[in-house]
Amino acid sequence: MIRRPAMAWVLSLLTAAVFLAPLLWMLGASFREEAQIFHHGFGEWFSRSGWTIENYVEGWRRAALGRALMNSLLQVALIAGVGLLVNAMAAFAFARLEFRGRDPLFALIVVMIILPVEVLAVPMFFTARDLGLTGGFTHAMAGLTVPFFAKAFNIYFLRQHFLSLPIELEEAAAIDGAGTWRQFWQLALPSIRPALATVVLLDLLAHWGDFLWPLMISTRAETRTIQLSLANLFTQPPVQWGQILACAVIATLPVLALFRFFQRHIVNTDIRTGIK
Amino acid sequence: MARLVDAKLLYPLNAWFTSAELEDFLPTVLEQGTIDGRLYALGAFESAVVLYFNRDVFNAAGVTTPATGQSWSWPEFLSACAKVRHQGIEPVALHMNESADEWFTYAFSPLVWSGEGRLISTDGKRVSGVLASPENVRTLTAWQQLFRLEFAATDPVDPDPFGHGRSAMDWSGHWMARPHVTDLGDKLGVLPLPRMGDKSFAPCGSWCWGIARQSKHPELAALWLQWVTDSEHGIVPIVRANGAIPARRSAFAFFAEYAHAPYALFRDQLERSARPRPRTPYYATLTQRFAAALRDIARGADVERRLQEAEREIQRVIDRRN
Amino acid sequence: MTTTIRHSRRVAWAFLAPALILLGVFVAWPLLRAAIWSFTNADLLAPNDSHWTGVSNYADVLTDPQFRRAFGNTALFALMVVPVQSAVAFVLALWVNRPEHPWRWLRAVFFVPVVVSMPVLAVLWTMLYQPVQGSENGLINVAVRWLGIPPQAWLSDPPLALPAIAFMSVWQGLGLQMMVFVAGLQGVPRVLLEASRIDGANAFQRVVHVVIPAMRNTIIFVITVTTILAARLFVQPYLMTRGGPGNRTRSLIQLIYENTFVSQDLGRACAIAMLFLGLVAALTLLQRRWSTEERT
Repeated sequence: MIRRPAMAWVLSLLTAAVFLAPLLWMLGASFREEAQIFHHGFGEWFSRSGWTIENYVEGWRRAALGRALMNSLLQVALIAGVGLLVNAMAAFAFARLEFRGRDPLFALIVVMIILPVEVLAVPMFFTARDLGLTGGFTHAMAGLTVPFFAKAFNIYFLRQHFLSLPIELEEAAAIDGAGTWRQFWQLALPSIRPALATVVLLDLLAHWGDFLWPLMISTRAETRTIQLSLANLFTQPPVQWGQILACAVIATLPVLALFRFFQRHIVNTDIRTGIK
Repeated sequence: MARLVDAKLLYPLNAWFTSAELEDFLPTVLEQGTIDGRLYALGAFESAVVLYFNRDVFNAAGVTTPATGQSWSWPEFLSACAKVRHQGIEPVALHMNESADEWFTYAFSPLVWSGEGRLISTDGKRVSGVLASPENVRTLTAWQQLFRLEFAATDPVDPDPFGHGRSAMDWSGHWMARPHVTDLGDKLGVLPLPRMGDKSFAPCGSWCWGIARQSKHPELAALWLQWVTDSEHGIVPIVRANGAIPARRSAFAFFAEYAHAPYALFRDQLERSARPRPRTPYYATLTQRFAAALRDIARGADVERRLQEAEREIQRVIDRRN
Repeated sequence: MTTTIRHSRRVAWAFLAPALILLGVFVAWPLLRAAIWSFTNADLLAPNDSHWTGVSNYADVLTDPQFRRAFGNTALFALMVVPVQSAVAFVLALWVNRPEHPWRWLRAVFFVPVVVSMPVLAVLWTMLYQPVQGSENGLINVAVRWLGIPPQAWLSDPPLALPAIAFMSVWQGLGLQMMVFVAGLQGVPRVLLEASRIDGANAFQRVVHVVIPAMRNTIIFVITVTTILAARLFVQPYLMTRGGPGNRTRSLIQLIYENTFVSQDLGRACAIAMLFLGLVAALTLLQRRWSTEERT
């Protein structure tokens, strides 16, 4: 059908331009002056005037975007990082270790996969509050991260991958005197690196855009995540559209960058494994 | 606040303030903090909503304003809008894009009141037959006219069209006084909000402080409360910073601007025509549903049906608690 | 698969402990609490001061027009999003499932909206849907006028608001489905495709008779997950329309949120949450029933 590679690229680029038009507009309009944002005359886009970086400067200052960005990055890093360890350990236990009640317990975990966070959010909020996970910065950050370290799906997913590893390597290591921890940390874990990257990526996607939970936990300005800052600019007067767009762009770039970084490690087979 | 009082979470303040001290406060401040005769909350500042206007546009359009301190009747207001519209300028900015629900109840309930209607019964427990009363239907149908006749925008983009010279009038609050005075100087005029009936009402009410019943040292909290509502030491700094209206009469002496417009009107309204919003434990639901109804009415919904729907929604929540 | 290596039981529990404790505290215990509260008249400001009211919360919720409306809106939303998004994603997957660079790049392009978070997109699309006010309007109206359709007030016109949100949601999510479909396509056995080609089947017939049956489990999985995700609708109506106009976009999760923080009726909010959980569980069970067992 499409023979020449140039034709393929043209078609591809055109499709991309149309499909990503909303995001491209977001980027462009974030540099427009407030009065010009909702004017879409063709000539205006090419004129020299009406462009400014004021939206970024003012928006950054007004919504304390630097702080919010840090909060979001920290939140996601903690959830992904600590979560990786917690879930991998549990997954390894279910895959390789024997203990009483292993299979029923795992079945229970599988059932937890379908629980949507929205159902649990309200009582979880009370639990978090009782445990002191709200309020000042460290407490709120704990409240934003600790409940999400352990994830049923991640345990399930990583267990599948541990199961697919050849047992011979671990047997050899055991004969050499390696204990359980070493078998886990030095052998099993590094062998499933693509799966680990997948899990980190999924956590990133899930929590960068977290809205309901931070809405409930982050009551103070210094504990806000970038999504809440954006919602704040959107709802608190005076509503300045340019600043909102600038904030939206800033809220998007880090996750796109991180995504690119981790994407290289993902393999298609993982997606199929996840389906089972 | 009524909700907190209903849940018995607030301490009454009467023990720590003498009646002489309380007399210094604006009556609306006391009224908004009083439930069943006991005072539970005090604020350091108050608020006001007025109709700002641009004198130049009015002169060009041939609009005459009533005497100082007098408000327009609704037909007079519509006629002024029509004249301005004829000049090709948006007559009035109503800030319908305000995402906070509270704006709608706050800014437009005085119309309901001047139309001799109420939002909720006096005992705070019944909206059925009250919210969708014939008076309110009449009032809000008249309000809906503003949008039908294109006197006001339903989905404005600009948060401050008046300041940017794009509308002739601004239905807005004291917080816009400083920017408007800066932007328009002598061209700025103020009027009380138009009235539906004979009596004019003004919005009021702002943030306030209360003491938690679980407090182990309420007397210390009361001491702090006295300090933060003290005219010179508490009110003056905060009002200088946020541009709100002082809650105590003795504090006005510190603010020279209250001798003339637009500030003088704020004080005058608060003393004479302001009315606090209903103090009921169900206020959160009431305001949210009322605001949703107002938004839909502005966009052409049938007024009576929409108000009745809001009535049903709110009454259901009230009935569950009782 | 069992192991032949001896590991001490204590070690096993040590490995499990962090996850189990966290899941217990933050998943199991809240779930139990929600279930209990749903049978009481718990109040947000004093949840422990409540008493047992049996199933009255459930009875009240199921007869409440607001609940029915929210359920209807959520169901309608899922009905609009799931078929459209799945179909488009499937077709796109067929299209971009080629090894050449332009197509692999395009896959990433379709995935971008998935990565950009929903709050950002909700705010952005509110601006895109901006109705005409004087000389100002939003990009969607510009595009639509270009196509000869009159501009609309997308988010404030009762019949248009939910479809507008659905359209934006389809755009946001189809990249993810497409990726899953692409992975599924690559798992279709080559032999079957070759055999059908030799038998004279054209591309369309190959898709219908070979690809789709081979991808049965993937398709069912995608449809179920998408339906569950659609049921969890919250951010878009919360930020874009606040449940309006005329209650036409209020979703079930939004109802839970409002019952908790506006009406402050905790018992009722939990009852709605439990009903929602029942719905999700039912959908998941259906998926397991319809999926045939694949060899691991």
